[in-house]
Amino acid sequence: MDKKNDVGFCDEKKFSDFFLDNSNLLNNYIYYKCGNVDLANDIVQDAFIKFWDNCKKVIPGKAKSFLFTIANNLFLNEYAKNKTALNFKNTPKQNYTNESPEFLLEEKEFGTKLNKALSNLSEAQRTAFLMNRVDGKKYREIAEILGISIKAVEKRIHNALLNLRNEIENI
Amino acid sequence: MKENYYLAKWLNNEITEEELKKHVSEDELHTYKKIIAATNGIEAPSFNAEETLLKIKQLRKNSKVKKLNFVNYFYKVAAVFAVLLASYYFVSNKTTNYNTNLAEKTTIELPDNSMVNLNADSHISYKKKNWETTRNLNLKGEAFFSVHKGSKFTVNTNLGSVSVLGTKFNVVVRDSYFEVNCYEGLVSVNYNKQTIKIAAGTGFKILNNNVVFTESIVGNQPSWLQNNSSFTSMPYSYVVNELERQYNISVTYDNKLANNLFTGNFTHTNLDTALKAISIPLNLNYTKISDTKVSLH
Repeated sequence: MDKKNDVGFCDEKKFSDFFLDNSNLLNNYIYYKCGNVDLANDIVQDAFIKFWDNCKKVIPGKAKSFLFTIANNLFLNEYAKNKTALNFKNTPKQNYTNESPEFLLEEKEFGTKLNKALSNLSEAQRTAFLMNRVDGKKYREIAEILGISIKAVEKRIHNALLNLRNEIENI
Repeated sequence: MKENYYLAKWLNNEITEEELKKHVSEDELHTYKKIIAATNGIEAPSFNAEETLLKIKQLRKNSKVKKLNFVNYFYKVAAVFAVLLASYYFVSNKTTNYNTNLAEKTTIELPDNSMVNLNADSHISYKKKNWETTRNLNLKGEAFFSVHKGSKFTVNTNLGSVSVLGTKFNVVVRDSYFEVNCYEGLVSVNYNKQTIKIAAGTGFKILNNNVVFTESIVGNQPSWLQNNSSFTSMPYSYVVNELERQYNISVTYDNKLANNLFTGNFTHTNLDTALKAISIPLNLNYTKISDTKVSLH
């Protein structure tokens, strides 16, 4: 991240650029945590407003991490309020055209299993794994965003894969 | 490196499939590959960034308005305080005035319970603020003071000032006539840059720039408090002026008599008796021309 460019978020243009660069990932991040699209949307909105309110406090080079920390805190507050309402749902949409019905069925079955397994992952593992798989983020980027070491990201992804396989094979 | 996160490394293309096979079986590898393939197909939830950004800007605009309102609110509160402060300052710094008209007497209680008897056609003013520490008042006319003990009590007049710590005294300021009579305690009079101490039972008066000390004042308060004006060797004009003040009348008389000295007294309650009292000693008669006009001849 260019540190020179990482200041002055109070400026509306600068803020808008920052928003467009990061809002999608942030939305996914919250979604991976809770599986609730509406909640993710709300939190993204609130997090960016809070970020803007505190735009003067942003430490150069830490803007992303700051944003995700705000969002995570908001999520934890919200999550504490309605724990029961959250239910992770992930529906992979795949467009297979020239596959046999057996294959399709098998795939569908596997997809269902994977969904269930993903739901059963710990929040930390699921978030890191999906940010890599879905958003194509490098371990370094994930580490930066979550404020953890690259080693910790590797551990989460490693364990996520282990748990997914165990879960799928045991169903 | 205690732990080897080979799965993460393989996923990140840091190690080859061959290397991974050292850790996992063929079947396991197959499942991992299937998982990776399946997760490639996962679509993130749709997110309308533009719309959300617009919403945020809208919300922020509203909150900006709120902030402005807060500033307005602050100004309102500040304004109220300013008005309160100003009015407090105005009230506390305000000069309190008391006036008596012709033929009127009044008694005033000062903030420290000191009493002031104000004779006819007289005026006093003082500031209530800091009265306890600086007892200062201005006098025109005649007044009798009964001062409580406390800080220095000063009566300012255009002819001089009288200061005391606690006592009873009478002050008269009429035109160029200045008189201070002390009935209790000790007063000091500042006149013409000199300080004159006046003990109880004595007095001091200035008539046409001549200083006259009066010995042996009778009684413990001036006679006018008993509705009686008494004079000792006073110019006749002054006596007539006092009569005019006490009865709210105008008196005409021969100007040659103006500087004759008069010793005597007149009552404030009966005009005929009073007129007799000041006309007979000088072998004069009086005629009431109207309710407010009297002629001495």
